[in-house]
Amino acid sequence: MRPSLFLREALATAWASKVPSTLVLLLVATMCAATIATVGRTAAAEAQLLQRLDSAGSRVLVVADARGDDLISPTIVDQVAGLSTSERAVGTLIPVDVVNGVVGQGATRVPAWGVHGDLSAVATLTAGRWPGPGEAVVTEEAMARLGLDDPVGWVAQASTTVLDDWSVVGSFEPREPFGDYGAGVLYVAPEGRALDAVHVVLTEADVAQVAQSQVLRLIDPPAPDSVTVTSPVSLAQLQEQVTGDLASFGRALLLGVLGGGALLVAIVTLADVLVRRADLGRRRALGATRATIVALVVLRTLLPALVGAALGVAVGMAFTGRLGAVPPWDFTTGTAVLALLAAVVAAVLPALYAATRDPVRVLRTP
Amino acid sequence: MLAVEDLTFAYERGGEELFGGLSHEFTPGAVTAVTGPSGRGKSTLLYVLGLMLTPTRGHVLLSGQEVSSAADAVRSRVRAHRVGFVFQDSALDPTRTVLDSVVEPALYAGWRLGRARERGRVLLEQMGVGARADHRPGEVSGGQAQRVAVCRALVTDPVVVLADEPTGNLDRDNAEGVLAALSAAAGGRGAHGEGDGIPRTVVVATHDPFVLEHADEVLEL
Repeated sequence: MRPSLFLREALATAWASKVPSTLVLLLVATMCAATIATVGRTAAAEAQLLQRLDSAGSRVLVVADARGDDLISPTIVDQVAGLSTSERAVGTLIPVDVVNGVVGQGATRVPAWGVHGDLSAVATLTAGRWPGPGEAVVTEEAMARLGLDDPVGWVAQASTTVLDDWSVVGSFEPREPFGDYGAGVLYVAPEGRALDAVHVVLTEADVAQVAQSQVLRLIDPPAPDSVTVTSPVSLAQLQEQVTGDLASFGRALLLGVLGGGALLVAIVTLADVLVRRADLGRRRALGATRATIVALVVLRTLLPALVGAALGVAVGMAFTGRLGAVPPWDFTTGTAVLALLAAVVAAVLPALYAATRDPVRVLRTP
Repeated sequence: MLAVEDLTFAYERGGEELFGGLSHEFTPGAVTAVTGPSGRGKSTLLYVLGLMLTPTRGHVLLSGQEVSSAADAVRSRVRAHRVGFVFQDSALDPTRTVLDSVVEPALYAGWRLGRARERGRVLLEQMGVGARADHRPGEVSGGQAQRVAVCRALVTDPVVVLADEPTGNLDRDNAEGVLAALSAAAGGRGAHGEGDGIPRTVVVATHDPFVLEHADEVLEL
């Protein structure tokens, strides 16, 4: 039988069997809509939660020199930045207060951080240029507090004993997760000076344990209390647990919805096959092979299922859209494909039943 | 063209055996009426000849080839290409038009729809029901429906036409019409004389005295 005529025949029989076709359509639509509304919402919530857990702020490992033993050298910071688990890393000095150098001591103070490493790892330049040694960049907020109209001028350390100052050569906005720097000034840490802490933004939260070990091995603290470690290890464990819990819940729900739906589709298809046994027997008598009967029954189930899947996805998306938790497109596509597969698999057994019935017995049964 | 050798059939293993080793050669171009008391297997013989039932013993030969023990798919292909079947109740699909019912076997035989429809229209015209081509089976009379069923049996130009009690539900006038159509098919003619001229083997299972009277040959079971 020619494929185009086969499709036409399946369409004609699906159209002729309006009740079973409508039932299959509604069942598949319900399967898709229910899956998207339940599992899809869970998937969307999981995606949002994971996004939050996996944001840069949740991937920061900070190791600080607790006793000022000069444990964190610029070389170590550079090595940490080169680790495969590091997305970016910088070394920082303990912040100091600075004032507008023109106004002098007594003016409004803002914090200033000395940074070793690539400044673009912590900030985005908005005006001027990146600072060199003895130079600094400021944020809009800091400029306002320092009384600077433009990112030019100079700032001095707010101290009567230490005389340190930096030329302002540009302005910046802090990058996540270094939002604290938005209140102040960044300057280049003096060459060769040991840093007080190293900040590492990890590539993924679940590499925290490995990265922590790598960084501590590089620093090699003489005693456990020589350094303080702020690590996202527990957050990574939480992430893993949440992902696992949600995934197993989603899988069970998905299997339940698809399995239940497939069972109902099988019952509807079997009922249709039994009702139309004379039709199928006539086809066999007129020359249809068993394979043709199987394919015809499956295809005539698949056609309303296709419409049902489209309808179900639309309804499910509309529902989850109103709740503000639209699942990702690959999930909805996957749901439609799985629902169609379930419908096809459900139709195969009744189709085999129809194809293996004795056509003579069927034709001679009133 | 169509023959049986030493044919026996039983619906169940160890059950009553039918035909008792029947051997017979059906004459091409003739209408052979198969008759006998109820329960002797008149319809069953047609289903065996139509390769829908497999003989318990013996063979069905078509053009000298043994076809009854072939695989199901092969027998389906033989049915689609070489055998036409007329059922007692016409068995037309009520959801499709008369023309679409007629072309159905041609689709299983792999014909293009256009060719099948062209052939179907010609047959419907020859059988005098061309005006009903686009009607549903429920909109035609019993006699017309049975003539449509004859058209369906002929659409693929089969060499064998099997008819199971084709006049069983018809009045005399309609029975005459259907029998004339089958006789014409056997001679390769249409109801109005035109046709392809190919002689066919037509086997009719019947207990209708009118059919027995007008059949070319009678095979009593």
